[in-house]
Amino acid sequence: MSPQTQQLVLWLIPGAPLVAAIVIALFGPRVLRQRSHWPCWLALAASTVCAVILLADVVPATFGEHGAAASVVAAGYPWLDIGQMQVRIDLRADAMSALMLSMVTSVSFLVSIFSAGYMHGDRGYARFFAAFSLFVFSMASLVLSGNYLQLFIFWELVGLCSYLLIGFWFQRPSAAAAAKKAFVVNRIGDMGFILGIFLIWTTFGSLDFSSVLFDPDRLRQAGAAEPGRITIICFLLLLGAMGKSAQVPLHVWLPDAMEGPTPVSALIHAATMVTAGVYLVARSTPLFALSPDAQMFVSGIGATTALLAALIALTQMDLKRVLAYSTVSQLAYMFMALGVGAAGVELATDGATAGMFHLFTHGFFKALLFLAAGSVMHSMGDVIDMRRFGGLRKALPVTHWTFLCGAAALAGVPLLSGFWSKDEILAVLHEAGEHERVGGFFTAIYWVATATAFLTAFYTFRAYFMTFWGAERFPPEAGHHPHDAPPAMAWPLRILAVAALGVGAAASAGHWFATYMAHTPAMAHEGEHVFHLDLMVVSGLVAFAGIALAWLMYVGRPGLAASISRRASFLYDLSFKKFFLDELFLSILVLPLWAAAKLCYLIDLYIIDRLVDVVGSVPRLLSRAPRLLHTGLVSNYVLMMWVGLLACLGYVLGMMG
Amino acid sequence: MTSLLFMLLLIPLAAGGLLLLFAGASQARSARWIAAVGSIAVLAMSLALAGQYRQLPQSSGAVGVASPVQPKVEFRKPWLTMAGEEGQRMTLEFHFGLDGVSVAMIVLTALLTVACVLISWEAIRERESEFYAALLILETGLIGVFCAFDAVLFYVFFELTLIPLFFLIAIWGGPQRRYAAVKFFLYTLAGSLVTLLGLVTLVGSAAASGLASPCSLPELAAWYRDNPLPQAWQIGVFLALSAGFLIKVPVFPFHTWLPLAHVEAPTAGSVLLAGVLLKLGTYGFLRLCLPMLPMACLAVGLPMAAILGVVGIVYGSLCALVQRDVKKLVAYSSVAHLGFCMLGLFALNSEGITGGVLQMINHGLSTGALFLIVGMFYDRYHTRMVDDLGGLANRLPLMAAAMVFVSMASVGLPGLNGFPGEMLSLAGMFRRNSFYAAAGALGLVLGAWYLLTMLQSVFFGPLKEPALGGESAAHHSVGDLSLRELGALAPIAIAILLIGVRPQPLVDMIRPDVEAVARLYEGRRAYTEIAVADRSLATEQQP
Repeated sequence: MSPQTQQLVLWLIPGAPLVAAIVIALFGPRVLRQRSHWPCWLALAASTVCAVILLADVVPATFGEHGAAASVVAAGYPWLDIGQMQVRIDLRADAMSALMLSMVTSVSFLVSIFSAGYMHGDRGYARFFAAFSLFVFSMASLVLSGNYLQLFIFWELVGLCSYLLIGFWFQRPSAAAAAKKAFVVNRIGDMGFILGIFLIWTTFGSLDFSSVLFDPDRLRQAGAAEPGRITIICFLLLLGAMGKSAQVPLHVWLPDAMEGPTPVSALIHAATMVTAGVYLVARSTPLFALSPDAQMFVSGIGATTALLAALIALTQMDLKRVLAYSTVSQLAYMFMALGVGAAGVELATDGATAGMFHLFTHGFFKALLFLAAGSVMHSMGDVIDMRRFGGLRKALPVTHWTFLCGAAALAGVPLLSGFWSKDEILAVLHEAGEHERVGGFFTAIYWVATATAFLTAFYTFRAYFMTFWGAERFPPEAGHHPHDAPPAMAWPLRILAVAALGVGAAASAGHWFATYMAHTPAMAHEGEHVFHLDLMVVSGLVAFAGIALAWLMYVGRPGLAASISRRASFLYDLSFKKFFLDELFLSILVLPLWAAAKLCYLIDLYIIDRLVDVVGSVPRLLSRAPRLLHTGLVSNYVLMMWVGLLACLGYVLGMMG
Repeated sequence: MTSLLFMLLLIPLAAGGLLLLFAGASQARSARWIAAVGSIAVLAMSLALAGQYRQLPQSSGAVGVASPVQPKVEFRKPWLTMAGEEGQRMTLEFHFGLDGVSVAMIVLTALLTVACVLISWEAIRERESEFYAALLILETGLIGVFCAFDAVLFYVFFELTLIPLFFLIAIWGGPQRRYAAVKFFLYTLAGSLVTLLGLVTLVGSAAASGLASPCSLPELAAWYRDNPLPQAWQIGVFLALSAGFLIKVPVFPFHTWLPLAHVEAPTAGSVLLAGVLLKLGTYGFLRLCLPMLPMACLAVGLPMAAILGVVGIVYGSLCALVQRDVKKLVAYSSVAHLGFCMLGLFALNSEGITGGVLQMINHGLSTGALFLIVGMFYDRYHTRMVDDLGGLANRLPLMAAAMVFVSMASVGLPGLNGFPGEMLSLAGMFRRNSFYAAAGALGLVLGAWYLLTMLQSVFFGPLKEPALGGESAAHHSVGDLSLRELGALAPIAIAILLIGVRPQPLVDMIRPDVEAVARLYEGRRAYTEIAVADRSLATEQQP
């Protein structure tokens, strides 16, 4: 393939959605109206095709022997060049970005088709597809960034799209509030990210991946010269990743983000944008590998978040919220894997590979679950509370089967997608557990991960059984005859279901994914692939145990769940109320800041401004004495004049005398 | 190019004079047309000027010869020569010039003035001729400041801008307009008088030691580069100069005149006040303090500007958070944004100063646009209170979209203009002192918080409109943006997008000026060392 074609392929991936976004924004509301999905569909189809070409042809062409790999670059333009700050906007692809892009574009394409059915007739139909296309543009450019600042630029732009789409139904106060919360909480992480970028800049004198990450000599030098600084860089980058990927304590925005239309939740808040943090840390693996402390922290945060979110998901009644907490928990799973480099540099690559693999498979089955949940909402008249409907498997057969596929994949049923990638993560954690110094730590993480896997299987199938089994019940909003998904929604569901079942096995066969990933610059590894049969058996058993328990509690003996929650009401409340983290945030951060803001304003009004007025009144006070003389009475002035004249006269006479 | 420059100075002045002739005449409605034609002509010419300026050959002056303040285009004509003692002569000149910073600021002024005329079209119904005359004379004053390269001329224009703005606030302002106008005038004037003292010392001491034309800023700067004042003197002069500039910017705690003046001023007054007038303070720092008093800038200016800037960012943002009046919120946001600008300028390296200058321009664009939009919904509802309004996006979708766009620019979203300025200011300061930069970065979070809170309560949620004096049908007449309003916003929006997507041309335009100043500080104390790799290594490895 000629270099020009390669460049074209690279440019089309983000370029086509950008053009679509502009076209829809300009012509959508007046001209295209309910046909506004067409530019979006066409552009995303083009993007997907290009991403596949990139994955199958363009990037492999650069592969050398033993993982030595370069990247494909499509030159853009110099964005900023002043002093020592040189930033270009280029598109740069390598194995890792190609893998991620293929997932991002194909899921986006399927979700856009689903959306045309789901959003049909909405007042903001054009606005939806404009923002949707803009998102895909930003996300693709994020993955194709070749330097940290470009990454940050598109990192913020996906945040903007997320803001616009969470607040899509802006008439609802809860949606408007959730959009703001998402943006502001993300900004906390972004503050860390940008400071991390500055520190990379002053440490390496460059922001390009090629000079920061892919140059082993220089990295070693930097690590040896200033290990503390590298650790700080890693922590700052991690703060950014924690915001975007919703890790404790910055996860609070993601569940609220479910106020957005469900396709948005599926695409942005499950499959793609929220994985940007994982991508950032995986991309920065060479940096993180220099700092075992930071890596331990990555795994630790991951384990905490995974467990916490899984516990919260156990009791949520809102189907989308269960899935949202499940997303938080699964992202945390990826973070657990990203930190294993603390147990030896050679493991860092395996950890990143495992994390990226889970990111890849998770994108498909989680998008599927959300879209299926959206299909449920669609036929239930926008009701999503699982207590208000039940037994839907007859009424919504397509939705039922596809949801089941997604749920089984998420639960880690053997041979389905989630199983393979989860197993990779458990395997690297297990291997890290054998390290002599930090082995104990990683063994603990391994068991947390296993426990989380059990909880995941349980809450996923709890949601499944509550929604699709039991007596058939519809809420009044659903009307008399709830109908299953129309074709525009059903086909994406079916395709994603196939992906959820098979993509893990396909990518895992012959260790294809890891071999491909190993061609990412600075990610080469020679580790041979081992099937951990024992680990697989354990995780398979754990998954079935979780499913069985869910069946017992919600189908087998329906009263059991209620009686357990009554007995352990304290624990139940803790989980149901999300460990009171929102309230904690409110009372230790938001309210004090509001109080401080009020105080500042009072200080402004009554102290600083008063002082200005006091200073301003000094001349007036000084003028008071002379003012007494100016009475305005002519007779007084005449008197004064006489006194003055007499005084002068007296003086003159005195001089003469 | 000098002829263009004079046209830029004279056209608004002439149009303003013409309008004053009409004052009180019965066909006053034609005043706005004269103002519109005049201001659009100025805008067109300023764009032509910028185009020509970019065609000029890149900095011809060899390094070390040119002054740290070096206009590329100059016009000099002495108008008063005074014989001093011992045969010394001192010359006052019409010394106009242009460098990249002044060209950028002139275009900004012209752009915002057009928007001001358009936004006042319906809103100003009394004494229109005088109103537009004041607006145009203000424009002359502002353009004059940016192209004056003579110390006395600079000061004259600097103060001239006060007078028309005083009238704009005092005559066409809100209920408390008298108090606000007097406070604004006296406060800034008091500061400027101390600045004058500093300026006289600066000029006088160069004259006393033999500089032939001490009022010329380029020559003055070159003189002080080669014969620096002793540090104690520098600090004294710096503090005197700062007095006026700090109040003008305004930097915490000298900002309290600003919210008051903004709330009382008519929309056009607010736009020019925030958009351009405040920049005279930072412009003064850039033109006088940074090139001429490097020791003082490092010893006193850096810590002072950084600490006050950071406090201003946090404090201004917090104050903005609790405002119930949207206009006051925007006013406090200016305090925060100019805190970034101060951080950038006093990073004293080319990244930071560039960031500071970009921030001056960007704040003018985005805050100008914010005030315009606030004015637009005030014209419709006669209230700006957050509590009276809600869900305006339901009725005014186009205005809501514009507001979201401009707010995002103001928040510093990449891809729009605010980001390069804020990022470079922080990056520059990070190199100088990473602690100040880290503290300043808090503004990124707080800025998003207050602006998005305002968006949420005014534009999102269910529709809530104030009752309009009992007329039940009144709200039917509330329409979305008119063509005239779009015309006021669109050029600004385009500039916001262009600078965000492609900041480099603007950066290239101001680069020689910034680097001339930054060169004075190279090698002076504490850069954060670029630890491992020097630039040569980094450039080698690029493909």
